[in-house]
Amino acid sequence: MEHQQNVLLSEMTFQHHTEDAEFKRRVRKTTILLSVITVIELGIGLTIYTIHKGAHPNAYLVLAFKGMVCILTLAKAYYIVSVFMHLGDEIRNMIMTIVVPLMLFIWFIAAFIIDGNSYKNLRNEFDPHFKESTMPKKHGEEHTPAPEPGKQ
Amino acid sequence: MSDTIHIHPGQVGHEVAHDDHHHGHHEQSFVTKYIFSQDHKTIGKQFLVTGIIWAIVGGLFSVLFRLQLGFPGQTFPILETVFGKWAEGGVIKAEFYYALITMHGTVLVFFVLTAGLSGTFANLLIPLQVGARDMASPFLNMLSYWFFFLASIVMISSLFLHTGPAAGGWTVYPPLSALGQASIGSRLGMDFWIVSMALFVVSALLGGLNYIATILNMRTKGMSMTRLPLTIWALFFTAVLGVLSFPVLFSGLILLLFDRNLGTSFYLSDIVVNGEILNNEGGSAILFQHLFWFLGHPEVYIILLPAMGMVSEILSVNSRKPIFGYMAMLGSLFAIAILAFLVWAHHMFVTGLNPFLGSIFVLLTLLIAVPSAIKVFNWLTTLWRGNIRLTPATLFAIGFVSLFISGGLTGIFLGNSTIDIHLHDTMFVVAHFHIVMGVASMFGMFAGIYHWFPKMFGRYLNSTLGYIHFWVTIVGAYLIFWPMHYEGLAGMPRRYLDKSSWASFSQFGDLDKMITIVSIIVFAVQLMFVFNFFYSIFKGRKVTSTNPWGANTLEWTTPINPGHGNWEGEIPEVHRWAYDYGKDGREFIPQTEPVGANESKH
Amino acid sequence: MATTATTHQTKWWSGGKSPFNVEYGKLMMWYFLMSDAFTFGAFLISYGSIRFSQNFWPDPNVVFNAFPGLGHKPLPLAFVSIMTFILIISSVTMVLAVHAGHNGNRKAVMKWIAWTIVGGLAFLSCQAWEWHHLITGEHAVLADGKIEIIGQTMTGNPWGQLADHNAMLTALNNSSNDVLATLVHESPLKPEFHDMTHKQLLGIPKDQLLGMINTAEMHVRSKGPIAFGGYFFGITGFHGFHVFSGVIINLVMLIMTYKGVFDRKGHYLMIEKAGLYWHFVDLVWVFVFLCFYLI
Repeated sequence: MEHQQNVLLSEMTFQHHTEDAEFKRRVRKTTILLSVITVIELGIGLTIYTIHKGAHPNAYLVLAFKGMVCILTLAKAYYIVSVFMHLGDEIRNMIMTIVVPLMLFIWFIAAFIIDGNSYKNLRNEFDPHFKESTMPKKHGEEHTPAPEPGKQ
Repeated sequence: MSDTIHIHPGQVGHEVAHDDHHHGHHEQSFVTKYIFSQDHKTIGKQFLVTGIIWAIVGGLFSVLFRLQLGFPGQTFPILETVFGKWAEGGVIKAEFYYALITMHGTVLVFFVLTAGLSGTFANLLIPLQVGARDMASPFLNMLSYWFFFLASIVMISSLFLHTGPAAGGWTVYPPLSALGQASIGSRLGMDFWIVSMALFVVSALLGGLNYIATILNMRTKGMSMTRLPLTIWALFFTAVLGVLSFPVLFSGLILLLFDRNLGTSFYLSDIVVNGEILNNEGGSAILFQHLFWFLGHPEVYIILLPAMGMVSEILSVNSRKPIFGYMAMLGSLFAIAILAFLVWAHHMFVTGLNPFLGSIFVLLTLLIAVPSAIKVFNWLTTLWRGNIRLTPATLFAIGFVSLFISGGLTGIFLGNSTIDIHLHDTMFVVAHFHIVMGVASMFGMFAGIYHWFPKMFGRYLNSTLGYIHFWVTIVGAYLIFWPMHYEGLAGMPRRYLDKSSWASFSQFGDLDKMITIVSIIVFAVQLMFVFNFFYSIFKGRKVTSTNPWGANTLEWTTPINPGHGNWEGEIPEVHRWAYDYGKDGREFIPQTEPVGANESKH
Repeated sequence: MATTATTHQTKWWSGGKSPFNVEYGKLMMWYFLMSDAFTFGAFLISYGSIRFSQNFWPDPNVVFNAFPGLGHKPLPLAFVSIMTFILIISSVTMVLAVHAGHNGNRKAVMKWIAWTIVGGLAFLSCQAWEWHHLITGEHAVLADGKIEIIGQTMTGNPWGQLADHNAMLTALNNSSNDVLATLVHESPLKPEFHDMTHKQLLGIPKDQLLGMINTAEMHVRSKGPIAFGGYFFGITGFHGFHVFSGVIINLVMLIMTYKGVFDRKGHYLMIEKAGLYWHFVDLVWVFVFLCFYLI
């Protein structure tokens, strides 16, 4: 470690440092992990494709697969942020200041999606033209499960 | 670890070891000192002066449309002389009226009460009160002002377009704002509006990141988070709100720009304009409202929180008492900041929002009453049995509390979706948000200006003019906005050009005249304040002691006219919170004084 | 490690130091990225909101199934998975650049940053091809009782629901010769028709043209939700713009490293901040990939 930097910025209390070998091992491990997860995601994507091609696609099965892809994506995001962006190496205070505000996304996503869905239900109930022209007529192509009209 | 060198702040640097120690001493040219300055105090003054100019413009707009509302149909030949085709025959044209109210809202909300208020005081106070030489990044801080300046230039230019500025209301709801063929106020002026706001978002972001980084990283030794003055806490939450919510507006505006110019259908669906059937399909106009109010609601707290923080500080200093319930104040600021993100759809109860979702928004909205009430009680109990010095700053701070109570109570009406169905888009709403957010924040801003003017310019504002300013403004504010509640309860809609064709509103004719006359008087008194401001910069009474108000906070330990770098020697170390007033028989104990051996606990 | 002991003893919030043990520039970069996450979040959530407000949404496996040089063979997700891997690999090279910076190894920093730039440019090229392919693609759609040929643009979407076969046959009769000539190319009844030029086909009368189309194997869709194109081009475009600015930032870093700016400063913290930005771009892609291609 003869090249290790020896200047510490005024605001910092200590310098992180990682052994070269340990670092290389972790980067390799993470790269493989990200690749494997991506391959699994692609596999699920293709599975969904095959289900759609079938005569009677099972909407709930598709939904379950999509849920799985979402979870896998979050796992990928976790590894990128924690290892590549080194957030995992920071002290707890730093991790919290980044992670906690992201909680706002929960309500952000939920409210927008619920209201989008409600807008669809409203139009299906009160706009016959909309319903007629856009509601999927037969199986085999699309994946949006048919909503029950009038359901809030 | 043994080969690392520890360098402590207290010296200048937040960069590295070999940083220059004496910013203030080397000679600067006029340009680097006053124009492209990187000194946070100068940047704060730049924000303030720009904000004042905008306030005059925005205020003038309100006087103009009040003329129309108070005296509908009456001719004012001077209007034609000044505005030409916009006021043919001396009567304000409908398009002009809509442009006026749109620009009044935009200018006051964003350019005056966001940039002018938090831009000024965050820049001025954060480094001074946390004990730092300057902002974390003085360069980005300078850019923050110049992006604001650019945004101002673009917005000002839009006023002189042939088709006029944006005129779809300050909330620029599509489809009106997305379709140039629907209104001349939705043509080029609207594009200018969007570009200007995008620049404004960049400015707010650069500023906000700096404020947060400075407050977290640049505090002097001993300045723990719970020793920070409440001003700093308020400005901190303001910055957090801005950094997390402005980007959402930015996204929403980009999509709007696409809808306007590239023919996309984000917000547009099933539209017929002037007999022409548009191709746009599948978009949702309500989506824009969601995106807009995801910023728009935090925005009202971006406006209000700095005022709250300054009022807390000013009330404590001038009643010579510790702030009542420091931790409760802090907790309620925190609660307000979080709730600010969760309640946006209460602006949209009548849009066809899912009623169940609406009920959750009602619940979250009414929760805001709790931290707000805590704050009000704490301000009142801070004043209670205090040794109050009624300086103009104190009066404005008390005025803020009064307005916040009166305006806050009507918020409880509007926050209920059922009552809101009746009150939505009436003058009641205008009365509510002007009192609680507009005028109250202006009062906070005035309080801050009167209080920190000595720190900014080394001179005092004239107090006599200050008292006149306060009394006329507070009485005027209530005379203007209180009657609007009655109009709104009777169902009188806002934003309408002329209500004289409704027989049911004819009873309000004289009331509207009165409101208009009072608003002209109040506007004139604000001009008097502007005179006082500029006159006092050069001719005001000079400050002779470093701590004219006997305050505890760090800004009063700097020289009367601090140079760039703020403190001449070392940055002082902090040993106590900011509110040791009237303790152990002493009037005040500055934060820099070590805790004595026999001192009582607070 | 010695650092763990320090962590427990330090009064992080007492002032005079960073409570996060992070210098201000890096902190500002993190908060900027958080802010940017809300920009992208707003885009993607708007997309979700619109998608939930529709009864029908195109299947990404049908839309994104082309591969350069392989013509019309449907290969769902193949090309985009290559794009994804390019970004992941460029993220890895960036990590190595940042690490080399920690060690003050100028040569290694330059090498890895250069590779990152290559990765970024490769990604942008892929995106350019994909956009070009979507926009210039010719897809037959049934609209207003006749067949039209449109591409995937901001204002048109050819990925609606499959049209009824009989409706398609009727619509063929109402369509222009120009459209029919294109359809002969797309699905010829006999292979030799495919080799005729568009101009030659236009010379043939309409009823003959109709007979040259292999209607049995032809599928025509109705128009899909227009917002699909707007969101796809808007969001991937905004992401592509981030990649582009990341490439520019990395170029500047490369030049600064070459000139020895960081060696003189004594630290490579700028590289670290550029790295954070680059990883963020990768992170956003993970979500764009999820929202547009996978679900």
